[in-house]
Amino acid sequence: MLLPHAHTLAQARSYLAALADRASTIDASSAYEHVLIELDRIHEDECPAADTQGLTEDRAILLAVATSSLEELEQYGVDPLTVELVIAMLDDAYAVDGT
Amino acid sequence: MYGETGAAMRAEFAALLRQHRIQQRLVGATPKEREELGGLIRTYRQSVIVWLGQAMRAASPLAFSNMPPAQPNPFRAVGSRGSHLTAASELARAIDIARQQSSARPASTHALATPSANPMVDRWRLAALAAALAEHDTNEQVAAQMTAPQAQALVGDVAALTQALVVLDQRYKNTPGWEPLAHSARLGWASLAAALDVNLGQPDYAVDHLGWRPKTKVITGPVRPGILGVLQAQHNLVIRMKSVPNATNLRLVVDSQRLVSAHLAPYAARIDERLAERWAERVETYSVLQKELREIGGLLGKGGLAVAEGANAVARLKALPKDAIVEPRVLSGFQLLFNRLDDRIADAIEDGVEHGAFFKRVTLPRLVDGGGQLVRPVRERFVPVTSATDLAVVKTVRERLRPKDEPPTATPGPTRVDLDSALIHRPTRGGTVDVPNI
Repeated sequence: MLLPHAHTLAQARSYLAALADRASTIDASSAYEHVLIELDRIHEDECPAADTQGLTEDRAILLAVATSSLEELEQYGVDPLTVELVIAMLDDAYAVDGT
Repeated sequence: MYGETGAAMRAEFAALLRQHRIQQRLVGATPKEREELGGLIRTYRQSVIVWLGQAMRAASPLAFSNMPPAQPNPFRAVGSRGSHLTAASELARAIDIARQQSSARPASTHALATPSANPMVDRWRLAALAAALAEHDTNEQVAAQMTAPQAQALVGDVAALTQALVVLDQRYKNTPGWEPLAHSARLGWASLAAALDVNLGQPDYAVDHLGWRPKTKVITGPVRPGILGVLQAQHNLVIRMKSVPNATNLRLVVDSQRLVSAHLAPYAARIDERLAERWAERVETYSVLQKELREIGGLLGKGGLAVAEGANAVARLKALPKDAIVEPRVLSGFQLLFNRLDDRIADAIEDGVEHGAFFKRVTLPRLVDGGGQLVRPVRERFVPVTSATDLAVVKTVRERLRPKDEPPTATPGPTRVDLDSALIHRPTRGGTVDVPNI
């Protein structure tokens, strides 16, 4: 894994972790956590650490930046369909969080 | 488990002690037939005596006397030759003599497994069967885990059973071809002294929990309806966790436990407020644990089946109607499974970190910009290898997840009381019931 890929992955993980921490219910938190675990599984658990400090509290903003960093992963050789599926999972989790 | 086999033996002997007029009960037309039945009973008795001797051997290294010795010499082991004589060692010796001097052989497997038509002989058979099974529960491996108060409880049980044997020996003496116990008077007094010595201290009846138990198995078959389905999945999860999960699967299991506890707590709150509080605390612990496990990676291990059972538990629990009432028995079942699982997860994390199956993720190195050079090197920081205890997740596991040790509640149980009352009971004449008149 090259450094830019790792950097993007670290960002995506950080945003997902922040979403899981700030979720309104325990079910939503679990759903975000599943997205994060799925992302780790795709990379065969070879991922850098997440850092949620200093990130915004606004979940809508976090969702937008998380989606954009996930989309960015396509540039580093991650299968586009897999990335789409992860983004779909993230949207579902956000729907659970919103209700 | 010794609790089961010991209780079976005591129950049979209590029933035998309540039977009088033995010769009438040994139904047989000729003295020859009665002699045969008597011989069978003696083989069963020999099986019981063999176990009594074995139990005393297991307990005697720990069966310290509660009476102060006249000349305390700590360099002499308990029960060894020349040391201060204890009641337990004397009982062990008397039992050994009774075993050696009896001409009967211990009952064969065939004799133990074949039910007898005579109900009294059959009780002897069941007692011998329980004694044969109890050899599992008082072997050397079990004796290694025994504490001194538990050994005293075992000596107390052996003493009560020996007294029962002595009383029955007197009662059966008219049976044709009967062979009385060797030195039965000595045996009776030794058992009385041992029982007295035990009761000067505080025997720990947790000895009942020691011994062999059947292997727990996965509950297969159709899904049980309602809350029982959740219990089934949770039970299977505990068993499936025997294989070490990898980091990803461990995170999924931890997540499932967080959800199970969170969704079960409202049901528990209607029945038992304290249990609901404990489970709310468990949710907190698992949330912290999950947050910290994000920074742990590792590919070794499996755990796919455990994840599936965890997901089953969550899905079945979510499908449960909100007004369902959960029995206290089921709730305590959940608490038991939660304790076991917490212990197992704590073990998996600690061992994984210790032996290198789990790794800590590193934060990315920063790019140094404007170093004045054409090539910008990655600035790296090396972190010295520290011990596993410095990891936050290990700390959480040790301080919060590990279930607090609760001493198992140990009571003497009804069978010990029953055997004692059977030992001292007197037969009522003509069926008169012995009740106080007001």
